[in-house]
Amino acid sequence: MSTRSLAVWSASGLVIALSTSNPVYRVVVLLCALNLLLARGRRGSGARILLTGIGIAGLIATLLTLLLSHTGRHVLVRLPAGIPAIGGPLTLEALAFGLATGLGIAAALLAVAPLTLVSQPHELVDALPSPLARTGAALGAALNLIPGTLRSAAEIREAQRMRGWRARRVADWPAVAVPVVLTAIEGSMTLAEAMESRAYGTSARTHFSIQRWAPYDTLVSVTALLGVAGFLALVATGGAPGWFPFPALSAPAISVPALLCCALLVVPSLRVWH
Amino acid sequence: MPTLSFARLHYTYPEAASRALDGVDLEIDFGLTLLTGASGSGKSTLLRVCNGLIPHFHGGVIGGSARVLDRDVIRTPTRELARDVGFVFQDPELQAVYPSVERDVAFGLENLGVARGEMLRRVGDALEMCGIVHLRSRAVGTLSGGERQRLALAGVLAMRPRLLVLDEPLSQLDPEGSAALLGALHAAVQGGTMALVAEHRHHLVLERADRCLLMAGGRVTPCAPDGPVQPAPARASQDAPASSELSWRLHQVTAGPAGVAVLHDLDLAGGTGEVVALTGANGSGKTTLLRTIAGLLPPLAGSVERRPGRIAYLPQNPSALLHRATVRTEIDWTLRRTHAAGRADAMLEEMGLAAVAERDPRDLSSGQRQRVALAAVLAGDPSLVLLDEPTRGMDDAARTALTAALARVAERGGSAVLATHDPQLVAAAATRVVDLGDGVARVRRPLVEAVR
Repeated sequence: MSTRSLAVWSASGLVIALSTSNPVYRVVVLLCALNLLLARGRRGSGARILLTGIGIAGLIATLLTLLLSHTGRHVLVRLPAGIPAIGGPLTLEALAFGLATGLGIAAALLAVAPLTLVSQPHELVDALPSPLARTGAALGAALNLIPGTLRSAAEIREAQRMRGWRARRVADWPAVAVPVVLTAIEGSMTLAEAMESRAYGTSARTHFSIQRWAPYDTLVSVTALLGVAGFLALVATGGAPGWFPFPALSAPAISVPALLCCALLVVPSLRVWH
Repeated sequence: MPTLSFARLHYTYPEAASRALDGVDLEIDFGLTLLTGASGSGKSTLLRVCNGLIPHFHGGVIGGSARVLDRDVIRTPTRELARDVGFVFQDPELQAVYPSVERDVAFGLENLGVARGEMLRRVGDALEMCGIVHLRSRAVGTLSGGERQRLALAGVLAMRPRLLVLDEPLSQLDPEGSAALLGALHAAVQGGTMALVAEHRHHLVLERADRCLLMAGGRVTPCAPDGPVQPAPARASQDAPASSELSWRLHQVTAGPAGVAVLHDLDLAGGTGEVVALTGANGSGKTTLLRTIAGLLPPLAGSVERRPGRIAYLPQNPSALLHRATVRTEIDWTLRRTHAAGRADAMLEEMGLAAVAERDPRDLSSGQRQRVALAAVLAGDPSLVLLDEPTRGMDDAARTALTAALARVAERGGSAVLATHDPQLVAAAATRVVDLGDGVARVRRPLVEAVR
């Protein structure tokens, strides 16, 4: 699957997730994205860390909405009014809206996650259009520094421990933080020197690897674009209603055409499962 | 017109008090040129002028004339000079731009706008020249230091430079890696490329070099007719004190990073007064063994014993330690943290750092930094000294100082283990050589055999 068709797919999923407040459509986008990650995700790409992060982000959004929005008819619990900001009634409606918000954040993040978890960073860089090729190469090189910096942080901690360093208080941390930062800066400088020394920025770049575009990529892109275009049209004409649980909780309305538009995002993972 | 022509060239780094290059007159036209000299003498600075990193990248004050391949270096940006001047840096870990071998070799060609068909041919040729065709699909992160250095050379050779500049290319390589890199370099020179190589392990380059230059005090002079002086081993193996007490012991140890065993069922011990040298190819497990002895890497199986006392550990990257504002305070920090007696002055003197005691360690040359890191870990009389490639980028004088420091540790009843590719250090300092390979250790005696 071409990185460019994957980018079209991700952009479509992101637009759908952000253009509706209806949790049903967000769930469909989220499931399609999860399905794609399970079907095509690279091993060792850090999917578990990302999913944990997305889960935490969703949870924080839910909690914040629950604690800060004191409207709704069904009161779950009352916090003392004297507590700044969060004091007052915590309602079922606020909880539901918080969950929908968390779901929206998770769906949006998961929609773009395949760009890094399915593609390699350099494939992403290669997929950029020519005017962005130089910036892309610099970005790719910068991404390449991250694993090295993490390794050097571990090495520095070890080395300082052997010199008697112990993390007892804040004042102890510069012994590790300073070399980590300086080593990262020096690493960046050396990399910049190495890039300059290999003619980076001389002329229009060519590409070693070719982004192949197969008929399947056309299918993925066309279905994703049809899905997002159809969904936006339905939203604009009131055919894909949003959802607002205040003042009293109600079930979200479901439009079958809108659901079908969202479901078109499942196409990239169908081939693998098949 | 010479390929490289410097006249009355002088250069001062930004905010530096003295000149790093001080009136360099040099003309080179062909072949392989070896550049030697002490750490901090200006070798890396001179090399960086060749492709314009100095002054364009580093700034500073430059004067005189510097022409490379008939172009004025002072007026031509590095990226333009890079079409004809290839540069390989000392640290191979920081040069890779892309995460896969093939892609990284192609990076320079992409920048030059070479068509894809031609690019494929050139990448293949460069990989073959450097003997790393079998690595073409590998991730750069999985390569050993030696393989990475050859990758860096391949990336430069693919661009078909007319002048090749290499800064300490052998400093991290095992004998096999060194031979392969020198072979590739020799092939490039035979093909008409001119090469300028700065290298402390000059004996490896000298036999293939067309000329030898000595750098001292920012100036260049021809070497003596018989080349740079080889230091005599400072300490013969027979002089080693007999081991009396166990310092460390590995019992049936299986060890490796991230749960992957690199060493298997190892039984090995070291006594007080002993200096053990660990040798073996890049990736043979020397660093793993050092970290296991240090207690930084728990063994996957078996047990490790250590005599009580402070352990000094020098990692491969000396920058990992340096965080204080001056060389002196860096040493003081260890003394304070380990509650050790003694003063920094003695260590500064012993490691030849008295002249740079008040300078920021990170402003020093890589060889000097290595010495500062050594001084920082050796301060305070450790009972067990574990050093990972301690002579990386070091000149002969610094190696001699290190040998003396290790002898002092041994005489005081301490012990040391060195992971090294440096046969001169092994000859000078080690009382026993342990050769690692295929996950097992072979203890070799006599020492002379191991060095040979």
